[in-house]
Amino acid sequence: MSWRGQIPALVAAALLGAAQPAAAQVSASSAGYPGKPIRFIVPFPVGGIADIFARVIGQKFNDAWGQPVIVENRTGAGGNIAAEIVAKSAPDGYTLVMGSIGTHAVNVSLFSKLPYDPVKDFAPAALVIEADGLLVLHPSVPAKSVKELIALARTRPGQLSYASAGNGTASHLSGELFKSMAKVDMVHVPYKGNVPAITDLIGGQTSLLFATMPTVLPHVQAGRLKALAVTGSRRSPATPELPTIAEAALPGYEVTNWIGVFAPAATPREIIGKLNGEIIRIMQLPEIQARLANEGAKFVPKTPDEFSAFVKSEIAKWAKVIKESGARVD
Amino acid sequence: MDILNNLVFGFTVAFSLQNLAYCFIGVLLGTLIGVLPGIGPLVTIAMLFPITFNLPAVPALIMLAGIYYGAQYGGSTTSILVNLPGETASAVTCLDGYQMARQGRAGPALAIAAIASFFAGCVGTLLIALAGPPLAEWALLFGAAEYFSLMLMGLTAAAVLTHGDMVKGFAMVVLGLLIGIVGTDVNSGMARYSFGVPELTDGVGFTVVAVGLFAVAEIVVNLELKEAREVFTSKITGLMPTGKDLKDSSWPMVRGTAVGAFFGVLPGTGPALSSFATYLLEKKIARDPSRFGEGAIEGVAAPEAANNAAAQTAFIPMLTLGIPASATMALMLGAMTIQGIVPGPQVMISNPDLFWGLIASMWIGNLMLVILNLPLVGVWVRLLRVPYRWLFPSIIMFSSLGNFSVNNSPVDVYLCAVVGVLGYILVKLECEPAPLLLGYVLGPLMEEYVRRALLISRGDPTVFFTRPISLAFMIATLLILVVMIAPAVRKKREEAH
Repeated sequence: MSWRGQIPALVAAALLGAAQPAAAQVSASSAGYPGKPIRFIVPFPVGGIADIFARVIGQKFNDAWGQPVIVENRTGAGGNIAAEIVAKSAPDGYTLVMGSIGTHAVNVSLFSKLPYDPVKDFAPAALVIEADGLLVLHPSVPAKSVKELIALARTRPGQLSYASAGNGTASHLSGELFKSMAKVDMVHVPYKGNVPAITDLIGGQTSLLFATMPTVLPHVQAGRLKALAVTGSRRSPATPELPTIAEAALPGYEVTNWIGVFAPAATPREIIGKLNGEIIRIMQLPEIQARLANEGAKFVPKTPDEFSAFVKSEIAKWAKVIKESGARVD
Repeated sequence: MDILNNLVFGFTVAFSLQNLAYCFIGVLLGTLIGVLPGIGPLVTIAMLFPITFNLPAVPALIMLAGIYYGAQYGGSTTSILVNLPGETASAVTCLDGYQMARQGRAGPALAIAAIASFFAGCVGTLLIALAGPPLAEWALLFGAAEYFSLMLMGLTAAAVLTHGDMVKGFAMVVLGLLIGIVGTDVNSGMARYSFGVPELTDGVGFTVVAVGLFAVAEIVVNLELKEAREVFTSKITGLMPTGKDLKDSSWPMVRGTAVGAFFGVLPGTGPALSSFATYLLEKKIARDPSRFGEGAIEGVAAPEAANNAAAQTAFIPMLTLGIPASATMALMLGAMTIQGIVPGPQVMISNPDLFWGLIASMWIGNLMLVILNLPLVGVWVRLLRVPYRWLFPSIIMFSSLGNFSVNNSPVDVYLCAVVGVLGYILVKLECEPAPLLLGYVLGPLMEEYVRRALLISRGDPTVFFTRPISLAFMIATLLILVVMIAPAVRKKREEAH
């Protein structure tokens, strides 16, 4: 059973995590890559979607290359701590980070000073997942479509409240983008994470929420929440009956949550190419595709250059939204 | 009879050889890791979580649940033996449990903790089976205003927690509150008191505060003693509780279970508050409150029953609504997702084997915990015979490990050392750590809820009095105040005459 091997690895990760100096001892020759264990840092807690996929990818790397991947959860400061560690690691492909829309697109505009540069300090290896959000309402809110919701918010300015998973999260910024594009006024009620925000929405304490699909879909199916639209650019296979916000009322509206693997800048291109190819292979395995569908997420293969361009466009997009909304974190 | 049928079905699932084995492995691993000082259930589950990836759904969750109880009980063990709480819930157990251990009564304290946990676990399991769904519905009525009023009531009642000096007690609550608000403000996103240290933007972790304040400070104080006390305690009077111990603990156990079950169902409060609340209650109604903090067995039985009852009922919102009541439950929810089960209200219907099997295995897990731990009491107690020069460095080492592994962060280890020094100064000033911890836990929560309640009500403060549940808590708060102040006023008047 594979877990026998995993306990020592995990304990070792816990014990050695900080002891390992950031500078790598051996300069990597890309031909023999990987010739030693890979350290894969996840800026989010155990059990979340980023963690799950980091572990799945790590396991498959191990199966394919015979080198263990040590997944290390390094949470804190909106993921900045983890990103900084990798930004300052040796560019040899043995330290990777599971970056996100937060660490590599939003935070650079949100934080007054960021200890790393999401573009200059990293070599984007592969986009792993894109996940649409869902606009959900408490059933008592009298709106059956996005248009009706906007009309309702206009007749009752400042009376509807939207919950979010916290300041500067995708769910907050989705709400701010919605407010500015629809020109409505709603009160932002921030929570510490998705879960308490969903709980209070189900209890009817707030009116609406932009949340990731898997977290709210079961509640929609149970009739405790009402779903109006998806936030992505296309309808989701999980909810084909729901329009996108763009087609329903606000052309141009699009928010997609994503995570992807980054290596430090100056990592050899061959190593980045090897990582990219392997991740694309893994993500297209049938078992992974099934798991993605389960999470309401999708995988669109991108080359490192395409991924890099994508990251830059995301940074530009969110800089604009954050500037308009005045959101800030220090 | 539906419930009886369902329970029988659950037991047939749980009693399969495979599931029993995973339940046992879970409880055993949980106890072994949880007993390491400074490592609480959350860290234990996070560490052992990946093991369950390759198991089918039912055994995976049964094993995780086992790890959870095991770790929780393991935390109590270190609280009693070496004054080292692994998490908020077991911090209260330190107050009297550690004193009992110092008096040579570690055995009875450990045994009563196991028995109280088992009793509460049985009641909790039954409650989930009988009344899970309606209880979860009821918990949904709690919004920010209700939580705030509930906590205000708790904090008011906490005034009785202080020994003697009210001013010092108050100062400790405020200090705790100040430590608690370090970190990013939920509403504005601004970092408070972080001094530019990124790790501090997430606040000072509970393990950091509890381990520093209780364990590190205690060791420093002990090292200062010049007397030739080589081992922790030389006299150990009996491993098992006496008849009187059992009698003294029986009602506190029942009350603790009731209080714990209440708090466990509420998402957002969880086991931590339950053990504080029940300790305060026991102290308030005790004939001789001065015994508390000096090794009263009720002070172990009640909070242990409460935190285990809460640990059980915390499954109610998770299983029936798909809403986790604590960080630990959020991990369990994550485990379900990995197994391809969509958590939520439909789990009971779509995966009855999982739902009822898990409930049955909860009871089995609790039973295994007792069977495993009662014989181990003697082993743990013998640990206390380890000379200081071995015991203290190992405690410090394991606490540092535990602290480090919460966030894989070295800053947490340094912070813990700083808090340890603070704890030592407080001991020298004869200030109690318990009110500080309470302020630390409750303060930031109250702030979050009061601001959220006002945000949702658009700044209207009457919301605390117009919502019925909130109003009830406000009235109760007033009553507590009257009950507390009245004797003091009467005394003054008598003195004046």
